[in-house]
Amino acid sequence: MNINKSNPLLLHPLNKWMEKKKWSWFPHQIETFYYVRTGSDVVVFAPTGAGKTLTGFINPIDDLIKLKKFKGLHTLYISPLKSLANDIVRNLEKPIKELDLNISFQVRTGDTTPYKKQKQKQKPPNILITTPESLALLNSYENAKEFFHNLKYIIIDEIHTFLDNKRADLLSLNIERLQTFSPNLQRIGLSATLKNKQDAKKWLCRKKPKIVSYENSVLPKIKILESKERIPWSGHMATYSINEIYKEIMKSKLTIIFVNTRAQAEYMFKNLWLINKKKLKIAVHHGSLEKNLRLKVENNLSKGLVDCVVATSSLELGLDYGDVEKIIQVGAPKGINRLLQRVGRSNHNLNTPSKAILVPTNRFEFIEAKAAIEEIKKNNLDKIDLKEGSFDVVAQHIFATACAGQFNINDLYKEIIKAYPYKKLKLNDFKQLINLIQDGGYVLKNYDQFKRIFQLRENKNIYKLVNKRETRKYRMNVGTIIENPMLKIKLGTKTLGNIEEVFIQNLSQGDSFIFAGQVLEFQSMKNNLVQVKRSKSLISKIPSYSGGRMPLSTNLANSVRALLAKSNMWDLYPEQITQWLKRQKYISNIPKKDEYLVEQFPRKKNFYTVIYTFAGWHANQTLGFLLLRGFKEFNYKPLGFVANDYAIVLWSLKEAKEIKTILNLGLLDKHLENYLEETSIVKRLFRDNAIISCLIERRLPGMEKSGKQVLFSSDLIYTVLKKNEPDHILLKSSYEDAKKNMIDYDRLREILKKIDKKIILKKLTSISPLAVPIILEINRENLSKKETDEYILEDLENEILKEANVLSIN
Amino acid sequence: MFYQLINFGNEEFHAYPDKSLYWKRVNTLIVSDLHIGKSISYAKNKQFLPPYDTKEILNKIFVSLDKIKPSNLIIVGDLLHDVFSTLSLKDQDHKNLSQYMKNTDFIWIKGNHDENIQIEGFKNLTNYKIDKFLFTHIPIKTSLFQICGHYHPKVKISHRGKTIFKTCFVHNEKIFILPSFGILTGGLDIHSKQISDVLGKNNLSIYPVGQDKVYKL
Repeated sequence: MNINKSNPLLLHPLNKWMEKKKWSWFPHQIETFYYVRTGSDVVVFAPTGAGKTLTGFINPIDDLIKLKKFKGLHTLYISPLKSLANDIVRNLEKPIKELDLNISFQVRTGDTTPYKKQKQKQKPPNILITTPESLALLNSYENAKEFFHNLKYIIIDEIHTFLDNKRADLLSLNIERLQTFSPNLQRIGLSATLKNKQDAKKWLCRKKPKIVSYENSVLPKIKILESKERIPWSGHMATYSINEIYKEIMKSKLTIIFVNTRAQAEYMFKNLWLINKKKLKIAVHHGSLEKNLRLKVENNLSKGLVDCVVATSSLELGLDYGDVEKIIQVGAPKGINRLLQRVGRSNHNLNTPSKAILVPTNRFEFIEAKAAIEEIKKNNLDKIDLKEGSFDVVAQHIFATACAGQFNINDLYKEIIKAYPYKKLKLNDFKQLINLIQDGGYVLKNYDQFKRIFQLRENKNIYKLVNKRETRKYRMNVGTIIENPMLKIKLGTKTLGNIEEVFIQNLSQGDSFIFAGQVLEFQSMKNNLVQVKRSKSLISKIPSYSGGRMPLSTNLANSVRALLAKSNMWDLYPEQITQWLKRQKYISNIPKKDEYLVEQFPRKKNFYTVIYTFAGWHANQTLGFLLLRGFKEFNYKPLGFVANDYAIVLWSLKEAKEIKTILNLGLLDKHLENYLEETSIVKRLFRDNAIISCLIERRLPGMEKSGKQVLFSSDLIYTVLKKNEPDHILLKSSYEDAKKNMIDYDRLREILKKIDKKIILKKLTSISPLAVPIILEINRENLSKKETDEYILEDLENEILKEANVLSIN
Repeated sequence: MFYQLINFGNEEFHAYPDKSLYWKRVNTLIVSDLHIGKSISYAKNKQFLPPYDTKEILNKIFVSLDKIKPSNLIIVGDLLHDVFSTLSLKDQDHKNLSQYMKNTDFIWIKGNHDENIQIEGFKNLTNYKIDKFLFTHIPIKTSLFQICGHYHPKVKISHRGKTIFKTCFVHNEKIFILPSFGILTGGLDIHSKQISDVLGKNNLSIYPVGQDKVYKL
């Protein structure tokens, strides 16, 4: 196709608007328009600033204008984030209003009021912008078929975020449902640049699949903050650099500071306010904040009414805030793709490079930041692996299908296996999932009189929901994202947002903590509401949110390791980093690229073993579990372990003297099976599975059952089930999840195969410089809970007995 | 199985990690809040818990009876979860129960969950007295020592920077509360208002239940 000679977009309804703005069409927009118009499903790869959103809407808008006064829903736009959905509306509004086009569009997410939702169902807009969860809900209504039967396009934005998780499974099933409702439906995927583009195409496209790709040659300008201050050995809060960060904010018109966790966001925000002498307008944005607070920040950002926003991944995707000049990434980049995504938020002009500053919060992160910049120069992206579909999502989908009306299981099965993740779903597994929804699917058929769905007598292939009340339960359980139990925070009568129950449990009345940028004093907890008041306290805790931890990509992990070993490079680093590494070398050792450093030292009352694998978080987590078992076998009484991307630390009541004997391939072979059976990883995945498959209910506002009890009872269910029915489909599903999540098994095996010959064991009298960062991570929750509980109880009892001068129990 | 010695009301009791309490002097085993058939009761609300709880609870009781061979078994309330629970008791379960009843007197004190339900062979009572000890589901006003259930007590323990919850036996000077003997039963913090109203906040003796051992705090 020669796009220069005949640009069909010159006749497009938006062309006038483009001309007015003095913008011209991108080649990938022309190409997409052509392919979609000739009946292809298309995935478009383009960098931010290349009119990606508009690309998706070119064909729908053209159609809608040609069709004139089209009534009903024409185009569905799926966004991975609520905030992004709102942003899309703002962007779509501009051309449609300015050209006075007769096209209606609305947003529908979990934040949309019930009244608006009801109105949308009665009178659907032409374009609906929504999320995978809201789509699943729409498909569960009895009139779903009428609602969608004229649907022409489905646009999946940021499709690269939908390829490797359970949300992708849910979305894929619902896209197939839409295709059944409306066979002419065409699919358009929009994606950031991806290493494996073909995979995205396979996942989405059915009709004459096409890839449209636009590569940007302008590399972003990324540098590490040149700090005169001392970069700490440990920590994640970047306190040291706060003044320099502030100076950077002053230099730019609008800055987004990205951090990795919500806790970091709160902390950064608070610290910026403390030094905000110029009265800059600084805001904070993260997923736990009440939606009104979030929306306010987003609005101010798009109108340029703020100078700086501190944000987590909640603002990471696709947002098109044209005025953002600079990105500051505080904390480790974790992956090339992710860093590029964040950096791409600044300066949405394709021909000028995005500007970003990396602020490592500790010395390890300095090395990681350095490595990331090198990889970006080489355009060495991370690969995203497609996943096979999970069973629990199918179960939820079956329930949803039943909510929409009676269904034929053969038709449903045929539809499901059209979805890419479920191509290999076995009929037998599917039938077990039907049983799971029907009555729990237990071998012991106890619940005949209490079924949720039942077979029609006249046709055994047709199932029907027992009564409509059940639809409410489905709607409460919809979705694949299981958050930790959260409690609402109330300041007076105002809700500030949600906080993890675990965090509150560790507070006493009068303790203060930071949330939504304010210092708050914990007063009481009643009916799942946390009552707080404003506090003037200077000492405060920061809520920790255990979710959202991003593993370091394998790609970047390798790069970090290689960089660290290059001691001839050290002198190019800031003095303090050089000193840190030299000191480590002096006290202990710096591992070469293929070596594994192991350090052991006593600390407080425990003994510590640190193993530097540089294997990435997943592999290290697995290895940590295995070592815990190994330590137990040698009676070292392990209390727990923490793994990060670089290392693992285990601490035990007794010294792990035989570490070299334990650390080899035998560890994996010996404990692999037990590992999956016994670790709380499977138990925790079982909880997610039980909730996603609607076996147990999510905690809902106003319900008596607290989140802790949900966790508790799902643990009990797991224990009972494993004992009595080890082949149950949900156990199978949990094991599959565990295996899928342990993506680094192979790599771990490779490491353990050769590790015994490559171990450098250093017995130290105290902690080494390299070990400091991971030791500081220890206060996080740990696994192998059952055993740890026993040790804690035993230890506490002994301590009390010692205090009381009683020598032994019994 | 090791037990923890508990002194309460000048008598010695043995607390077992299976959550039963044994009063050796009068050869009486005490359990509470079995909630037999909880799974089937939940199933009527379409919460399909594994239907194996009844079998497991009965087995647990039988193992304990075989080992201790008490002359009395006192259940201080909520033997059954609700009226549907009887559906989960099979003929064989009834047969087994009758067999054990030959050697042990089953004393079923009614709880709030099973007030109006009957099972053959069980003595149904609202409370029961041995010497200065009153056995009742929910404590009442009395000068006697009381051994009760109902609250499913658990204790929050913070130690070395970790917080855990453990099912526990707990008593003050006059009132003893047993943990739930059930399989799918949750718990209530002993410092919650409901339990504090009964036991008060101070001078509690707390015995968390571990895997193979009952601890003393």
